Amino acid sequence: MKPLLGTFYLLGMLVPGWLGYDRSLTQQRQEVVDKVVNPWRILETYSYNRYHPMEEIYQWMNEIREKYTEVVTQHFLGMTYESRPMYYLKISQPSNNPKKIIWMDCGIHAREWIAPAFCQWFVKEILQNYKDNSRIRRLLKNLDFYVLPVLNIDGYIYTWTTDRLWRKSRSPHNNGTCFGTDLNRNFDASWCSIGASHNCESLTFCGMGPMSEPETKAVSSFIESKKENIACFLTMHSYGQLILVPYGYTKNKSNNHEELIQVGQKAANALKAKHGTNYRVGSSADILYATSGSSRDWARDIGIPFSYTFELRDNGTYGFVLPETQIQATCEETMEAVLSVLDDVYEKYWYTNSAGKAKSTALVLSLLMSFMSLL
Amino acid sequence: MALRRQPLSAPRPGDTRPAAQRLAVPLLLLLGLQGAAAAGGPEDSGWLQDAEPSSRLLSQAARAALHFFNFRAASPSALQMLASVLDGRAWVNQKKEYKFDLVFTTEFYSAEEGEKRLGKCSAQVFFRNEKPRPSVNVTCTQLVKKERRQKEDYQLYKLMKQLKSPLNAVSIPDSHGYIAPSLRPIWDLAFLGSSYVMWQKTTPFLHYYMSQISSVKQWKTNDDAIDFDYTVLLHEFSTQEIIPCRIRLVWHPSKPLKVTYHCQERQTPEEASGAEDGSAVAPTGLSNF
Repeated sequence: MKPLLGTFYLLGMLVPGWLGYDRSLTQQRQEVVDKVVNPWRILETYSYNRYHPMEEIYQWMNEIREKYTEVVTQHFLGMTYESRPMYYLKISQPSNNPKKIIWMDCGIHAREWIAPAFCQWFVKEILQNYKDNSRIRRLLKNLDFYVLPVLNIDGYIYTWTTDRLWRKSRSPHNNGTCFGTDLNRNFDASWCSIGASHNCESLTFCGMGPMSEPETKAVSSFIESKKENIACFLTMHSYGQLILVPYGYTKNKSNNHEELIQVGQKAANALKAKHGTNYRVGSSADILYATSGSSRDWARDIGIPFSYTFELRDNGTYGFVLPETQIQATCEETMEAVLSVLDDVYEKYWYTNSAGKAKSTALVLSLLMSFMSLL
Repeated sequence: MALRRQPLSAPRPGDTRPAAQRLAVPLLLLLGLQGAAAAGGPEDSGWLQDAEPSSRLLSQAARAALHFFNFRAASPSALQMLASVLDGRAWVNQKKEYKFDLVFTTEFYSAEEGEKRLGKCSAQVFFRNEKPRPSVNVTCTQLVKKERRQKEDYQLYKLMKQLKSPLNAVSIPDSHGYIAPSLRPIWDLAFLGSSYVMWQKTTPFLHYYMSQISSVKQWKTNDDAIDFDYTVLLHEFSTQEIIPCRIRLVWHPSKPLKVTYHCQERQTPEEASGAEDGSAVAPTGLSNF
């Protein structure tokens, strides 16, 4: 009898008006059921074609972690100046295979909204496709992705509440008369030598010393601790449509400059093939302007071989205030570029290894066979 | 071996530079500079060709030329953006003034997806140390036929006249990059006025983009012209600064454009004064500077 009543009750929920329930009450009950049965509220209707405020991004991270629990974990990096937690998502296919780390951070400059939008898009693409897409599956066999969707959280929030074109962090200086350090001038890479300012009022203020900011410290100490295993460091910015290799603080080139350019150019070609957008590739000092204390230069100098800055759309028409209508196309083309870089990184570490393994296995087998033939 | 001291002349066909010559040029430049110092002759002002001008420098010069072109055309419905620099030559003199000889492609500014049209321009740009700077000589292929351009300008003009003043619009575009269709003509006209300001302010080291209109003040439409008073936020790329400029323009489709402006500069060691003012009336016809 009870199960039958239960079925009637359930049916009553599904058919509004049946059993005398009015519509609004049914809806309320449905919402309660939703909350219990369906905890991923924001994820169900999350639009990757819109810009999201920080509270929504925090919630999105939680739900991503809960939904894709077999491959995603969320980790604490440190606190911002205004005491907000910095989290990165780790996407890793559990296995006994040796792994290399791919690091990607977005939003080191607060006003470059398209960058955090891309980080979220990237995570979504990997998680929605890693089971059926052979290219992504292959990458996840030996690569772990570490994604920091918003690095400069305080600044990002400030662009939503107060000043859309704010760039720096929100740490106070000069007795609270001046705010913010340019986090991408604060890393310990020829700190404040060129293309940066000691004046707090400047938008390229390098801070009171290298790694003086809590955000920079949080990222750098983590990267430092994992640097042996990090194959690729990607930092996403806008605008300018550029793929930049080291260095900004000197016109000298890194010892793997040719390779970085080759990989970068291939990525730019893959990007252009998607929607026709032109990106230029080169060292920061050559094609942009001199800068010191950048995270990309620092990453290369501590030994991470592939280190790139991406400057996303556009070329100045809308600049930082890129219309939401362009998010999808920008993310799709950038995805192609990033996957191209990852393919090259993968090939570099595992193609040669597996070829080597095949050779040595063949050698052992042939030795065994010749030994056995002697018996 | 001849020193590479050449006055700015009509565009020459592109020449190939063998590697040996490329290596020799820095040495030649050094010799040339010494020679110029010794001789001190005024006949060619000591212009030395930069053998490998950076793409950034060429792009900046091309943008300056294009800002001037847009201002002179005074047509808010036919604004052009830089696509890419095809060819560029650069010269610098002892006073650290620069001259450029450029060929570049352009794109229609308000191109809808699918309406991508490439134009082509050739320009000579001269960055002097005194204001106004820089002087520009530019010709471009006609991207849009004159009749269509005039028709669209006139439609824009009518739309503007119909808009109620004072406008309550604050930021254009809004934080999400959105411009309401009814406000689009305002953006176009503001960009036209900003082109004048950006042309004036561009140097070999500083170049600008229009980020956002931060306020639109009133305008009157007496004597048929549109009298437009607004504040625009310019983004300077190398310093990353945002510079608010108050711009006032008076526009009528068939009359010369009048622009006055006042920019709030941050006090930096490079800038002598805290504010920059300027005004001009667009020349009629295709006059050469």
